[in-house]
Amino acid sequence: MSDDSNTARWREDFPVRWDADHYLTRRELAKFLTLGSGILAAATGALAIAGREAPQALYPAVRIPSATQLLPGTSLLFRYPTEQDPCILIKTGSGELRAYSQVCTHLSCAVRYETEDNRIACPCHRGFFDVEDGRPTGGPPTRRLPRVVLRTQADGVYAVGMEA
Amino acid sequence: MHTRQQGTVLFTGILVLIGTLVIIQLWLLTAALEALLARSYEVLVPASVASGVLFVFNALLLRYVVTFDDRVRREERIRQR
Repeated sequence: MSDDSNTARWREDFPVRWDADHYLTRRELAKFLTLGSGILAAATGALAIAGREAPQALYPAVRIPSATQLLPGTSLLFRYPTEQDPCILIKTGSGELRAYSQVCTHLSCAVRYETEDNRIACPCHRGFFDVEDGRPTGGPPTRRLPRVVLRTQADGVYAVGMEA
Repeated sequence: MHTRQQGTVLFTGILVLIGTLVIIQLWLLTAALEALLARSYEVLVPASVASGVLFVFNALLLRYVVTFDDRVRREERIRQR
């Protein structure tokens, strides 16, 4: 096989001559970065618009079955806002209702209510949350549990929204 | 009168500044995405406004530096004649 045919095959893989190639100028780089800046600003704006649309769409009013029969110091599980979102409803010793997402903010294990200590606990890594506001009180979690907004009506207790 | 060297230094400095602001915008975007997923909607609008302001600032910097560069090149051509 001749040198010429070898060269031709090599050129098929690398068709650009190095001396014909051109480097990115500072001006082009500045324009490219500014274009990227515009795209990032637009993407952040799109997220803000999505956030404005989301609350109305995501949170219907859903009746929590058996909530009125809950005894002080006990809890029950329900799903809100969709069937894929487990939540926990707690009736504190003083008789107040509190509801939170059951998904631990550390690594998404299911949290449970500990009656004797009046706290919400994650059994996976021993994380603890305050029953009153869902803030982390011990263990690895650093973010509070999302709170389910409740509304009590004559015919029962309704979940009507979520607060992070 | 501006020299090409001055233009190069200015261009490099502004390029670094634009790059830094783009990185801040990237951080704002990731923070906004995390806030959206955590349903902390109150963070989203300020993050969006801040990102928009940075973009406008970047665009003004680009306009300034390109204008400056053109002026330097024009003055250089006049001197060469």
